[in-house]
Amino acid sequence: MAKITIDGKEYEVDPKLSVIQAAAQQGIEIPHFCWHEKLSVAGNCRMCLVEIEKMPKLAIACATQVADGMVVKTMSEKVIKARQAVMEFLLINHPLDCPICDEAGECKLQDYSYKYSVGYSRFEEDKVHKPKRVELGPNVMLDVERCIMCSRCIRFSDEIAKQPVLTFTERGTHVVLTTFPGTVLDNKYSMNVIELCPVGALTSRDFRFKSRVWEMSATESVCTGCSRGCNMNIWVRNNEVLRLTPRLNEDVNSSWMCDSGRLNTFKFVNSQERLNNSLIRKEGTLVETGWDEAIAKVVSELRVFKKTEIAAIGSAYATNEDNFVFQKLMKEIVGTKNIDFVPHMIEGDEDDLLIRADKTPNSSGALQVGVKPADGGLDLKGIIKGIGEGSIKALYVLDDDIAAIPEIASVLPTLQLLIVHSSVKNHTTELADIVLSCSAYAEKHGTFTNFEGRVQRIRPAVATVEQDRALDGFAMSRWDKFASPNDRWGRPIKKDARPSWRILGAIAGAMGAKVKYTTAEDVFKEMTERIPAFKGLSYLKIGSRGTMIKTSETVSSSVQMA
Amino acid sequence: MNEVMETYILPDIKDLHKLDVYEANGGYKALRKALGMKPEEVTDEVKKSNLRGRGGACFPTGLKWTFMPKQTTKPKYLCVNGDESEPGTFKDRQIFELNPHLLLEGTVIACYAMGITTAYLYIRGEYGKWIRMMEKALADAYAKGYVGEKILGSEFTTNVVIHKGAGAYICGEESSLMNSIEGERGYPRVKPPFPAQNGLWGCPTTINNVETISNVPLIINNGWERYSKIGAPKHPGPILVGVSGHVNKPGVYEMPTGVPLLEIIHKYAQGIPGNKAIKAVIPGGSSTMILRGDQLEGAKMDADSMKAAGSSVGTAGMIVMDEDTDLIKVITRISKFYYHESCGQCTPCREGTGWLWKVLKRFENNDARREDIDLLMDVANNIEGNTICALGDAAAWPVQSMIRRFRDEFEKRVKVAEPRMLADASA
Repeated sequence: MAKITIDGKEYEVDPKLSVIQAAAQQGIEIPHFCWHEKLSVAGNCRMCLVEIEKMPKLAIACATQVADGMVVKTMSEKVIKARQAVMEFLLINHPLDCPICDEAGECKLQDYSYKYSVGYSRFEEDKVHKPKRVELGPNVMLDVERCIMCSRCIRFSDEIAKQPVLTFTERGTHVVLTTFPGTVLDNKYSMNVIELCPVGALTSRDFRFKSRVWEMSATESVCTGCSRGCNMNIWVRNNEVLRLTPRLNEDVNSSWMCDSGRLNTFKFVNSQERLNNSLIRKEGTLVETGWDEAIAKVVSELRVFKKTEIAAIGSAYATNEDNFVFQKLMKEIVGTKNIDFVPHMIEGDEDDLLIRADKTPNSSGALQVGVKPADGGLDLKGIIKGIGEGSIKALYVLDDDIAAIPEIASVLPTLQLLIVHSSVKNHTTELADIVLSCSAYAEKHGTFTNFEGRVQRIRPAVATVEQDRALDGFAMSRWDKFASPNDRWGRPIKKDARPSWRILGAIAGAMGAKVKYTTAEDVFKEMTERIPAFKGLSYLKIGSRGTMIKTSETVSSSVQMA
Repeated sequence: MNEVMETYILPDIKDLHKLDVYEANGGYKALRKALGMKPEEVTDEVKKSNLRGRGGACFPTGLKWTFMPKQTTKPKYLCVNGDESEPGTFKDRQIFELNPHLLLEGTVIACYAMGITTAYLYIRGEYGKWIRMMEKALADAYAKGYVGEKILGSEFTTNVVIHKGAGAYICGEESSLMNSIEGERGYPRVKPPFPAQNGLWGCPTTINNVETISNVPLIINNGWERYSKIGAPKHPGPILVGVSGHVNKPGVYEMPTGVPLLEIIHKYAQGIPGNKAIKAVIPGGSSTMILRGDQLEGAKMDADSMKAAGSSVGTAGMIVMDEDTDLIKVITRISKFYYHESCGQCTPCREGTGWLWKVLKRFENNDARREDIDLLMDVANNIEGNTICALGDAAAWPVQSMIRRFRDEFEKRVKVAEPRMLADASA
């Protein structure tokens, strides 16, 4: 350990650290633009200049290794002056277009301007002009004038995404960030450069111009795009999800998230295809219905069939809580042994960084909470075969568009009863007799278990009819807080959807069982009592970074079907 | 004057650039001698000679060589820096043209001393003609076995590669030079690590200036003792001084270090046209601090003397300006150069060099205010010392020294005072 003094206080730190890292560990932020924990050191922004005793000049904290006895000053007059100088330099050619810049509100340059700048400019010359709208790739847009040449995006592309297509051309203030001739910024992780960019130079082509950042709430959640379970934030305005951004978790996704996760996992929540209510098939067509009627219909229809004629398909997209209540209802109350779920693997679509071939967030969780055949029951293949042969006459499907898979779709019409939980209209709901409108992952509490056996929480970011943003403790944006009834954003569109565990609990209750779940946490509590792997856990313990549990079973050995 | 001076680097011998003439005049004798010595003895000889780098920093060459690790599994490299691009500096070009084999001989000796098997001779791309001259000389040296496999029958092998620059001043900065050789963008590297530990391709590397390396054969031939007696004791040896500007006979002159600046101007360069007074002198290339005419008395061309006079030797590229010179035009042009050549990596230099030039341009156009003088000074101060490499300093020093020593020139260009407009409501 090395003893160093920062601003008059002594600390024992790892001698391998740089000054900026050592300070960060002690909770002291040395301002910086180009330095990033996960990238190589560039040392170009000069914002982290600090005074180190016995050094003739100010030194950059990012590239200076700590040494025993080192005395660092981060707040001396000299340092403050140098910081003000760097801020002044950065701003002279930077467009002062914060009012129309997407980055405003989460811009390092803007924040530091308030914190470390003098508040006025001495620059009266003409600014340098550069290209304003450059399509770097399918997902990322560049405004070169806003670029402060920190090179984070270049280093990310080289070092993390391993697609070295970005570079600087020209010199001095004329430096231009660009792609090499004949290349585009098009890789599975390209959008990470958007958050890495400390200014508004790199913006999301999907999100840009959609919202000021302070008009959105940010809710801690987990990506549902694959079994990695990248930690992320759901950004919502007026009850509409506008973007997902990665949230640091060293044990899962570091600071990153893949483009597919960002773009392909939230749009259905807002989509026109969402179900507004539950549906019942009457005289061949699905018609909207209320919850009481829908639930009564489920109970009465299921009673028509023998236990052996009923099968249940859980969901690797559903939470542990949903799957747990589902299997409990099916096995203990309905009494069928035929229960399984459909895996969604895309073999080969995986890499060493984040992306997993299993495109569901919770297949290990589904297995673990009991979505698997009881002794003597049919597994997925058996169920499909049974449906085809007519021995399975009723099927209950939890939140999975199984009819999108041709070999399943071909047998479904032979069923006498198809009950489906779904958030959206899809192939399966088209065939269903009863459709129960269930909340999407962005509308409920719950847990997923990722491929490594890490249990992670999701939280509601979008309110449904039965929820209230303020009363139910949602994350709130300025809009949410200050809206009045005559504001458009005070009257958001809310879907009448419920979490599956609540729907299933109501069905169980209607079938005569004593089920008293008020919250997802109540379900989780019962899981901790009944499933050894969950013993001792609580939502509090899982926290915002998740916690590992012991997994004894793996998904791939159970079933194989694309 | 010139006749009595003994010259070593650029002796007045016809066709010395030809190998046979070079050999006939004692060429490659030093290499033969060095190969008979132990490598560390060669380094020691250079160290004792007190040879200091001729690229501008005046760093002791022998000491630099000792930074190279002796035990290493990695290859080691020598980069000979011939990127000379500083305005006012054109001395290495004379070596390429007039005495290329001296440079090659010094290069091979340096490689031998440091156990290096590959040397890169980096020449600025604009020197097309001189690159071809060096290529010819190198081919001849290879053919005669002075470079390449088992040199002069010894066990020592080293190769010399000529690398053309692509037109960036910054590539004369040693770490950018290495990036440039590697095929990367010419960006200076953050130090540490220093080149001797982690240089070209991550391997131990020494970078020496062309003129520095050309001094090495003299040291070996004459012995460190004799060499160290040439010129100023603490900064000895012959030095090439390039004189340009308002002098009757501009050119590159070889002389011992320590010659008074006034002697260089009046004897070597034969005075000022029309016998005008000297207004200012930039002594060592455009980045060195400008001296007023009245500061020249007693100033000599060696590191200590120039420091005492308030400037530095730099690359000994003197720019002499007579009493009619528009110094605002001069400093504006110098600033434009650094603005043009800043690599753009570090914020203060990238943004500050352009700002300096833009404000100076207003002085040049008589469109500046009095407070702009202090603004210039402040911007220069904010660049100085706060960047990865010395280009920021090189851009700041001329401005700082010009304001300090010729403030009246700036004041003369100030527009008649008018209230400062903070915001133009009509726009």
